Order: sequence, then C-alpha cells, then structure tokens
Amino acid sequence: MSEMWINMGPQHPMTHGLWNLRVRLDGELIKDVDPEVGYLHRGIEKISEDRHYNEVITLMDRCCYVAGFAWEHLYTIAAERALHITPPERAEYLRVLSDEFQRIASHLMWYAAFVQDIGLMSPFLYGMRDRDLILDLYQSYTGARMTYEYFRVGGVRSDLPPGFTDQARKVLDWLTPRFNEYDQLCLGSDIFHKRCDNLGVLKANDCVTHGVTGPMIRSAGLKRDLRKDRPYSVYRQLDFDVALADSADVTGRYLVRMEEMRQSVRILRQVVDWLDHHPGPVIAEELPRWLGAPYAPVGKEGYLLKRHYPKGVGFSAVEEPHGEAQAYVVNEGGEHPYRVKFRSPVFANISAARQYMVGYRVADIPPIMGSVDVCVGEVDR
Amino acid sequence: MANDVTATEKPEQNPVLWVVRPMATAARQFAKSLFRPSTIVYPYERLEDPKFRDRLEVASGKPLGVGAVWDNYRGVHALNIATCISCNLCAFSCPDICIEMVTVPGGDPKHPKKCPAIDYGKCSYCGFCSDACPEGCLTMTTRYELSTPKRAEMVYSPEKLYDVFRSKLPMNPIRLARPANEDAILLDPPLCIGCNACARDCPTQCITMLDIPKPESKPGEKLPRRIWKEPVVNDSDCVRCGTCISVCPKECLFWGTHK
Repeated sequence: MSEMWINMGPQHPMTHGLWNLRVRLDGELIKDVDPEVGYLHRGIEKISEDRHYNEVITLMDRCCYVAGFAWEHLYTIAAERALHITPPERAEYLRVLSDEFQRIASHLMWYAAFVQDIGLMSPFLYGMRDRDLILDLYQSYTGARMTYEYFRVGGVRSDLPPGFTDQARKVLDWLTPRFNEYDQLCLGSDIFHKRCDNLGVLKANDCVTHGVTGPMIRSAGLKRDLRKDRPYSVYRQLDFDVALADSADVTGRYLVRMEEMRQSVRILRQVVDWLDHHPGPVIAEELPRWLGAPYAPVGKEGYLLKRHYPKGVGFSAVEEPHGEAQAYVVNEGGEHPYRVKFRSPVFANISAARQYMVGYRVADIPPIMGSVDVCVGEVDR
Repeated sequence: MANDVTATEKPEQNPVLWVVRPMATAARQFAKSLFRPSTIVYPYERLEDPKFRDRLEVASGKPLGVGAVWDNYRGVHALNIATCISCNLCAFSCPDICIEMVTVPGGDPKHPKKCPAIDYGKCSYCGFCSDACPEGCLTMTTRYELSTPKRAEMVYSPEKLYDVFRSKLPMNPIRLARPANEDAILLDPPLCIGCNACARDCPTQCITMLDIPKPESKPGEKLPRRIWKEPVVNDSDCVRCGTCISVCPKECLFWGTHK
C-alpha cells in the first residue's frame, strides 16, 4: 500500500491546543512526522515593545495558560536585571511559592489530559479536582484563577491574606496521599505498562542535540534542572532532589512528573514555614516612576527618564513545568522594553517529534504527544 | 547527590490484582463522591454565597476557601462617582486601553467631571486600574456574569458602574504594595512661565501658585515674558497622577526625588 500523509489537528482531541501534526503513514506505521505550529500566534513579543514593563506581565499569563506564574517569574527576573532592581527576599519566597504550586497544578493538568489520551476516564476527573484546590489558593491571594497578574517588576503585588499558610498546609496534606492514588491507577495496572513502556524513546544525547529539556531530558537519565544547575530566586536555600528516570520513554516521563510533584510539595512546606516567620516588604523600595503604583504619563516620550535610569539588558532562564524557558529583555532607557524575546521549551520539545515518533504505530501518537505536555500558548506566543 | 530519586522497576503483579486495584481506587472515590461531592450545582448554588464561606474546607471535598476567598476576586468594577477626582490614572494604567473618561454631571462648566467608562469586551481584569486609583473609588467586585445579547451593552458607563457599587458586593481588599519612597513632582524654575495651567488642572488642588520676586532688569538685557509666579506642590496631597506634567506647555515639571 502506498504511503499517505494525514493531518492530526489543528482541531483534534489529541493535539491539546491549536497545532497540526502531519504524519506520513505506511499502513499503521509512522514513517515521518512534521509538526506545524503558528495557529495561536498573537505577537506577544511585539506587543511587549509597546507596553510598560509591568503591563507585559498581563501578557505572560496568556503565554502559557497552565503555567502562568512560571512565565511571569521568567519575565520579571529578566526585566529586573535589565532595570537593575533587586526584589526583597519575602517577594522571592512568594514567587517560589507561586511557582511550585503552579508546577503541581500544571503537572496535574498534564496528568488529567495524558490519562485521557491513553483511555482512562476517571483519573481525568481526579486530576482536575485536585488542581482546583490550588486554583482556589491562587484566587485567595491574587484574585484570579488563571490570569494572575501577581508579580511586579521589583516584587509582588500584595502580601498573603491572613490564614493563608494554614490553608496551604491543608492543601499539601490533601495532595500528598493523592499522588500514591494516581500511581495506583496508572502504574498499578499492567494495561498502562503495556501501552506506555518503550514508547516514544528519546535518549539523552538526542535530547541534548535537539534542545529538548524539562521532564523529557530528566526521564532520559540526564540530571538537568535549572533550579539546581543555575539557581535563580531562592532555590539555593531550599532542599529538594531532582527527579530522574532512566527509561527515556512515556512511562519515564510519567514517573519524573509524579516525583516532581512530590518534590514540589517538599519545597512548598519549607517555603510556607519560612513565610510564617519572616514578615517584611514585598516590593522593592527604589522603583522608577513608571514602575511604581500609578502608571502616569511622563511628559514626552523618554523625556528626563534617561537621566534617571541606566540602560541595560536582562537575561533569565527558569525551569518551567514543561522545560527550560528563557527570556531576554533590552532596556534602552525608555518606559517600554526595547525588545523582549522568549525561548519556549515546548517549541523545542515538539520540534524533535521526528526523533521520538518515527517507527511507532498511529495509535501510539496520543500517548507520546500526551507525555510531551504540549502547551501551544507558549509555543506560538 | 546521594539520594537521587530514580524510577524503580515495575513490580511483578498478579493479573487479577492489576485489574482489581485501580478499580478499587475508583470505587472508593465514587463512594466518597456520593456523600461529599466535589462540585456544586452552579446556577442554583454559587461559590461566592455566604453559606459556603465558613464551610469551605479541603477535607469536605468542596472547593477550598481561605477566609473570605471570594472577596479578593477580580470581577466587574464598582465606581463610587462621588469620590472620583477625575485624575485619569485608571485610563493611563490600563494595558488594554479599554477605559475611556466620559463626562458625568457634577463638574463645573470649565472643568467637567470625568469618570471611567469600561469596555468589558476588551478588559482583561488585570486590576491595574483599581491598583492605580488613589482615592479607592474604583474597585473590583465579585460579579462575573457579563453575557449580554448586544455588544454595545458590554461598555459600562460610570452610572452603570455606580449601580454595581450600590449593590454592596464585596470589594476587593487587595491593595498594591507601594514603594516606600515615591517620586514627587519637581520644577525646573528657569523654564516656568507661571501660566497656572498645572494648578488649574490639578484634580486634588494641591498645586499653589506663589509669587516670586521679579528680578531687576539690567540695561541691554530683556527679561523673559512671563507671570512672576511659580507652582508649589503639596506632596502629601499629591496623588502622582501627572496631569500637571502633561498639561505643562513648557515641559518644566518632571518626576524626581527631593534632594
């Protein structure tokens, strides 16, 4: 039988967003794949050039809709380096608190979508249910469930409400036994192993060659985690391990993400304890005019601002739930960033699709793509 | 690191167990959900209802609350027209440019009172406007149901926002953490012509024009044509809206810190 191309997507339940996977098939066998992105392009990098430094943060939540805090953190670090601002320590801990809760929420969202891809229905509901508890926590201190707009250049928007840390501990206590339950539902079943073992294998050297990062590279046994390798924020003070697996397949990615959630709980317990005992300011004391509370007009464009503020560039790299995200902000002295550039981890991860998909069957595509954890919002930006 | 987390080999299992165990977990969850459902019946029950406020706990399976979790929600704005000073800060701070200042009755003819009208078709509920509001008259409430049959109805006039204010919904108590030392309005004296534009348009009336001595004119030198007055800003009343800077014809006012 002759070969044929079929389109998985852009509107397809497997694709988790708006992108297209073109697959060349020989019967059931995958001969070639060609991921095609760009359906969700909103020009976020270009819009950022026309916005104040703080207003770009509203776009970051739309960048990745399941891990908004990670992208806010990424941008704020880069912008602070470009503007030569140091946030207070309590703000850093609040950011790590948000980041790690976001990692759990994002992985739970991945778990819910992934198990549905491999045909399990009820774990989807459990994953979504437990993610909702974290969103409730977010709502109590940021005011929103998905688009937080909580970080500011130079700190965070506000302090925690009273009683927050107790509720956060309750959520952590609730989540800890849940992870074992998820494992029972998946790893406890041989059907899961028959479906996922030795599937979508991407070895460590291939990961390095193609820029694949995050849980995918850790599932191949390579210990690469920016929180350890290039510590940002206060991760240096926190005690945690890097989750590793050695099978480099779909099961390995599952194991790594599950272990990462447990490690996040471990980090969060330390952060919550720290926050209980260290009150303080949450925003830097020295802020330029247009970063302070009201965002007022400043005369003519750039007038008298260059006298106040030195130019600079800022680079940051953050371990996002999906992988390593990077940002570069150029400050030319005006009130808007001159240029903002982002590096999306998922873009690299799905660009390497040919490496881990060719040779498998067409029914293997949903588990493999599910294990990559695609978030198209950040791929297209 | 010594104790790296490494994936273990899958345990050998009895074929009966790998069917029974996941099913038992699912059955346990099902039994729990019969007595403690995780969801609510939305149009009839609402999460922001006071009856949920104290009962929200993790263990109940219901959504979690941290004290008054819904008070912090960023929904439709409430505007207290009476305390609005027409400073324009909400419109300037809006990233989506969805706030337009429209005239409302109550101002004098020369300086009409202008209050924000918000286009909820564009609004992203970021809360920058209520953060920027110096008088606390623009806040965000817990109202979130906005569907209308007409697009024009998505633009909320100040009167409509005032109706939201009068409905006594919980106001968002989150206030932006402000930097300790804020910039102030400074004057570049040689540029000033004493035109009174800043003092006239200041929404808080915190600028006073004070007389300055007229210098003696030397022979052969022409004095600048100006009014011999200079603005003095009362920093404690100033809301840092920047109106004076934007109306100044000579660009002699600027942001800075006092020496």
